Amino acid sequence: MDIRVSVQHEPFNGLDDSRELGQGRTDIGAVVCFTGLVRDFNESPDVTGLTLEHYPGMTERTLEDIGQEAWKRWSLKAVRIVHRVGYMAPGDGIVRVSAASAHRRDAFEACDFIMDFLKTQAPFWKKEHATSGDYWVKERATDYADAERWHGSR
Amino acid sequence: MQLTHLNAHGEASMVDVGDKEETRREAIASGRIVMQPETLALLVDGALPKGDVIATARIAGIQAAKRTHELIPLCHSLALSKVALEFDIDVAQSCVHVEAMCRLIGRTGVEMEALTAVSVACLTLYDMCKAVDKDMRIEAVQLEHKSGGRRGVYQRSTDAPIVTGDSAAREVSLGERCDAPSVRVKFLAELRERVGESETVVALDELENCDVAGLKTTLAARDAAFETLGERRILCAINQVMANDSTRITDEDEVAFFPPVTGG
Repeated sequence: MDIRVSVQHEPFNGLDDSRELGQGRTDIGAVVCFTGLVRDFNESPDVTGLTLEHYPGMTERTLEDIGQEAWKRWSLKAVRIVHRVGYMAPGDGIVRVSAASAHRRDAFEACDFIMDFLKTQAPFWKKEHATSGDYWVKERATDYADAERWHGSR
Repeated sequence: MQLTHLNAHGEASMVDVGDKEETRREAIASGRIVMQPETLALLVDGALPKGDVIATARIAGIQAAKRTHELIPLCHSLALSKVALEFDIDVAQSCVHVEAMCRLIGRTGVEMEALTAVSVACLTLYDMCKAVDKDMRIEAVQLEHKSGGRRGVYQRSTDAPIVTGDSAAREVSLGERCDAPSVRVKFLAELRERVGESETVVALDELENCDVAGLKTTLAARDAAFETLGERRILCAINQVMANDSTRITDEDEVAFFPPVTGG
């Protein structure tokens, strides 16, 4: 299993992982790379930044478990999950998930699956800073509905 | 606590790790070398007689990590999957901070490799600069962080926030051991702000029932602020594994309460 997970303060390297994942191998036919960014509007219209908190240890393990579950469900060649913590400004990358496979469908679906479970299971919490004040972001029912889609499939 | 590298007769003995489960292990160590401000300026300008000091020290640290087992008698030789060194020039303190991260999937920890990498990188910095400065000091070589393996996560306590969320620096650590059977209870994110503290210790004999529900009841009796733990949305993990009201609690458990997650 080629799964790598990182929870880090530092911004991501480079634009995406497709070059790194394809390096020195020719069995990969598709790399799907998702990047989540900080928006300047969310629960309030004037978000100036956010601070991400996590639970060291459990967070990394949960991301690894999600990666392994994706590995079981699809035929994958590599999985990378990078999630940032600490302070971030609008436009900054928060999360990057990359899935590599021989054919595109596996990579697309695995990437989608990993994001759905990351958002509903991995212990991260967002606090948004807005001109009107700071507040903790509320969980969203749509995120749980998205994760529910995968139950029973495969 | 027993020293793992000594046998029952007090003799040195290599630990048999063959039966241990392979896990992803990572260790970060740090150290610094203090030098004259003039030396540091030469180092930054690349004007030292032996050339690019940092690049050389980085390679030295990586090589050293890979050869730790040749230097430290009872260390296993490990197939490291990653070694990375960071150098931070600190003009204010006139020193170079060195940090090494080692990682592998394996049966034994990598802190010796990280500590060796830092030590040898510092020695290399000394060697590269000694022509102009003999007063340099190598200091504070220490383990910062270790994860993977049976004993969980080690995190050195510092002022830097490990877990952020409010203006005050907070962190999650394994903390001190208590003598009486007890559990450490942590409150994360929004919940930490609502209950007004990040962690507390509860003795097991304070609990009517040794399960999560019993712990909630005991805490609520202690302070009304903890009544919020009874809300359905509040989640619980024991030793970093999700739990529910009926999950049993035992001595030295780490119990964490937190709101639904909102990452990604």
